[in-house]
Amino acid sequence: MSPVAAEADADPAESMQGTGLGCYVYGVVAADAVIPKSLSGIDGRPVRLVRHGEVAAVVADISADRPPGRRKDLVAHGSVLDTLCTSCTVVPVRFGSLLADDHSVVEDFLALHEDRFAAYLTELADRSQYNLRAIYHQNLALEEIVRADPKIAQLRRQTRDLPSPQGHGVRIRLGELVAHALDAKRSEDTDILLESIVPFTASHAVRPLRDVDDAADLAFLVDDDRAAEFEQQLEDLAEAVHERMRLRLVGPVAPYDFVED
Amino acid sequence: MSVQTQQRRQSGGYLERPAPSGLADVIDIILDKGIVIDAYVRVSVVGIEILTIDARVVIASVDTYLRFAEATNRLDLYEKGGKDLSEFVGDMQEGGASKKTSGALKGAKKAITGDKDDDEGDDERRSSKRSSSRRRRSEKA
Repeated sequence: MSPVAAEADADPAESMQGTGLGCYVYGVVAADAVIPKSLSGIDGRPVRLVRHGEVAAVVADISADRPPGRRKDLVAHGSVLDTLCTSCTVVPVRFGSLLADDHSVVEDFLALHEDRFAAYLTELADRSQYNLRAIYHQNLALEEIVRADPKIAQLRRQTRDLPSPQGHGVRIRLGELVAHALDAKRSEDTDILLESIVPFTASHAVRPLRDVDDAADLAFLVDDDRAAEFEQQLEDLAEAVHERMRLRLVGPVAPYDFVED
Repeated sequence: MSVQTQQRRQSGGYLERPAPSGLADVIDIILDKGIVIDAYVRVSVVGIEILTIDARVVIASVDTYLRFAEATNRLDLYEKGGKDLSEFVGDMQEGGASKKTSGALKGAKKAITGDKDDDEGDDERRSSKRSSSRRRRSEKA
């Protein structure tokens, strides 16, 4: 990533133009991993392994004349990784990672990081990621906020029947207070959710929120032999909180949030 | 645990389990996640289309504030018969749904974890706000 290294950026691209194909990298698995034979990825190209020592890159050829950036490419990327994670341990590689050829996959990628990848494969073995999104029923959360804060209730009364132009500044102030109150509520509720769920998990990550109605967006790494217990806990929790928020659980997916950049 | 609770569980329960097939979910789960291959050996970067559809909301913006203000102004705080929200919570607890304590996640935590520790004053809130009404809401049919 140094300025000097960046100057070499163009070289692999030039060498690739001769073949018309690049090598798209999905992830890293153990060298002895068995991947589904019929697995195909972006553009329907078959997925294969490029091995080095204890580890192997999951790759597929890709036309070099366009970078992978279409929506369906992203879906294909995720589909390959999530399929892999049901049959073996996989370290996800970031979407859009394209190397010149198999040689480059070994020399520039696997050989440089073999120990690190092997450590990940050990750490992530027999574990899967689940993503949990908690979404407020917005009016209920807002009602709680209005009732709990006299200042907000007063601003609400003040702005409620004001025509738009006059009330603009006060309305922004009201919205700001509500937003802050909602943040505080999120923070408190996130802690409570985590406290309830974390004992059933090996690790967790708090993710950025996707929508203003979201209470929390969390990723959990769960031991496969505790998955049923974990899901039951979330069923119970979803039932307990269902009048206030919905819980959406996606997974198992590849451990996207448990490998470092 | 009530019979009712078990019936609900058997019928699928409240936890939503969507397949991550929608683009929004896939973007949310995948984009910007995973091992980064060193820039000097990569031959491409992500195309522009993906980058322009990342529509994360900026929470702290005037637009968001106005949206909150508008939503707050639209609230009909008496649509539930003029009951205070905490009364409403008390109703649900009294109505055979004490495991669900939905108005207060803290209560939920206790129900879920079996935590008997009441040092946060939940008991006080719960007992003092009970309402005689046994009306229960059921949002999910």
